[in-house]
Amino acid sequence: MWRKSKPYLLLLPAAGTIILLFFGGIFDGLLKSFGYFPAIGETQLTLAAYDRLLHSGSFWESMALTLRIAALSSLLSAVIGALIAVVLFFLNNSMEAASPKAWHRLFQLPLTIPHLVAGYIIVLLFTQSGFVSRLLAAFGWIDDITDFPVIVNDPFGWGIILTYAWKEAPFVALMLYPVLSRIHGSWREVSRVFGAGNWQFVREVVVPVMMPAWAIATFIVFVFTFSAFEVPYLLGVTYPSVLPVYSYQLYTSGTLSDRPEALAVNMILAAITILLGLVAYYFSKRWNVLKGWG
Amino acid sequence: MKRHPRLLSLFVFITLIIFIIVPFVPLLLSSLSFGWRWPDVLPESWSFRAWEYVINDGRTWQAVGISLWIALIVTAVNILLAIPAANALVRYSVRGRWLFEAIIFAPIIIPPFISVMGIHLTFLRFGLTETVVGVVLAHIAPTLPYMFRAVMISYQTLSVDWEDQARMLGARALPRFFHVVLPHLLPGIMAGASLSVLISLSQYLITFIIGAGQVVTLPILLFPFVSGGDPGIASAYSLLYAALAIAALVGMDAALKRYYQLNKDSQDPAKGVKP
Repeated sequence: MWRKSKPYLLLLPAAGTIILLFFGGIFDGLLKSFGYFPAIGETQLTLAAYDRLLHSGSFWESMALTLRIAALSSLLSAVIGALIAVVLFFLNNSMEAASPKAWHRLFQLPLTIPHLVAGYIIVLLFTQSGFVSRLLAAFGWIDDITDFPVIVNDPFGWGIILTYAWKEAPFVALMLYPVLSRIHGSWREVSRVFGAGNWQFVREVVVPVMMPAWAIATFIVFVFTFSAFEVPYLLGVTYPSVLPVYSYQLYTSGTLSDRPEALAVNMILAAITILLGLVAYYFSKRWNVLKGWG
Repeated sequence: MKRHPRLLSLFVFITLIIFIIVPFVPLLLSSLSFGWRWPDVLPESWSFRAWEYVINDGRTWQAVGISLWIALIVTAVNILLAIPAANALVRYSVRGRWLFEAIIFAPIIIPPFISVMGIHLTFLRFGLTETVVGVVLAHIAPTLPYMFRAVMISYQTLSVDWEDQARMLGARALPRFFHVVLPHLLPGIMAGASLSVLISLSQYLITFIIGAGQVVTLPILLFPFVSGGDPGIASAYSLLYAALAIAALVGMDAALKRYYQLNKDSQDPAKGVKP
């Protein structure tokens, strides 16, 4: 009896904590999104909040903005991250192993910087009176503050996208680098024997090797940027706002009647992220990308 | 590209500087500036005004203390929860393994604020809002999966033979754990702890919802400044915040290295295994 149930007892504290604190919270939110508020005497379950939400223009605008920002941020980080990884890979091949290590560390610096700080860095760089605008003015490319485009707190979300690109590109590089290091130096020599130049080597060998990990890393960035709060809260505009900020605005807008809608937004977000997560998990298992993730 | 590594490394070096280092320049300049008007690339005059404000304000150090305190408790709880769970999943044949993994890894995919917003009113009823305990409870879900994963990887490289040998030599369960298992798991635990501390330190929204402005961690203190407050003070706080995150990581790395150094000195050839 003890031997049989031992692993389950060992798993109980961790799984129980997550079930209670995390899934409990989601379930709590789900009930309240159906309008179940025993504290104010509402015990009937209705779909009214979802109905209102799906018929409101601001929800769909918010959804479109969220998708656009997540797509552009993940694509941009994917491209920059892959460039970083490939350049580091070639560099490692052509130099002794010692010095690139310090550079690896440095490339990981944006990963350790908290998102709020990264967002503020982008503010200082790219507001109309920011550092980039000052540099352009110093070179005489612009004459006035207003010549610099509004790319922070703009309705399109460029500031948010730039922040994510800066923070997540090193993440993509970090996911790709171990995969690239599986390419042996001899492969390069073989390709040269067959007359391949550097560019052909990258296209025919390096890119196919890193493709699965690349796709998964990009996907992870997409799921994260789709549901993250801090950066768009700091760098976005009040309307339209991304879904997590939209939900927070509804939740804190004061009236209790908006809360079911806020929680309904959350449930839709949760459903989408679960779906995306399952897709990513399926492909990563198939391509055997995330070793050690279970 | 092998032909001119010099040129390539120079190119990489410049890219690196522009991409990684330059973004911090305006942050530093702004924290040291006094009235930095638009067309000036460098501030007209320098001052430590913002840093004096940040350093002399008692709330700063209180916030640093509370942030670290919360991160440490969260990490300690995570270690206690993750070790038995990882042990069970790696060492035993568990039915429904995918379910347990799905449960424990779920907070990586589903954003934790969704759960926290849902549980908010329940926490309110139990008097957990506006308390450090409440914030700690809210921080466990987003951090535990990373600790769990790190410990699991460590367990996968620890052969049962090591423990069997210790058992044969007469070691009971507790000494076995502390002298055989724990030293082997330590690098994994430290890796997990680094992530756990880092993630706990960088939480804003869930701390704000549960702490309700009464549990003032560094990001809570920082936010009003970065969203339209005094740029000098906002920059100084941002640098302090980033430094805290980096220091926590570097500190833990150094502690682990020191532990190995000490161990190596005291019982040299005993450690042959590398994870």
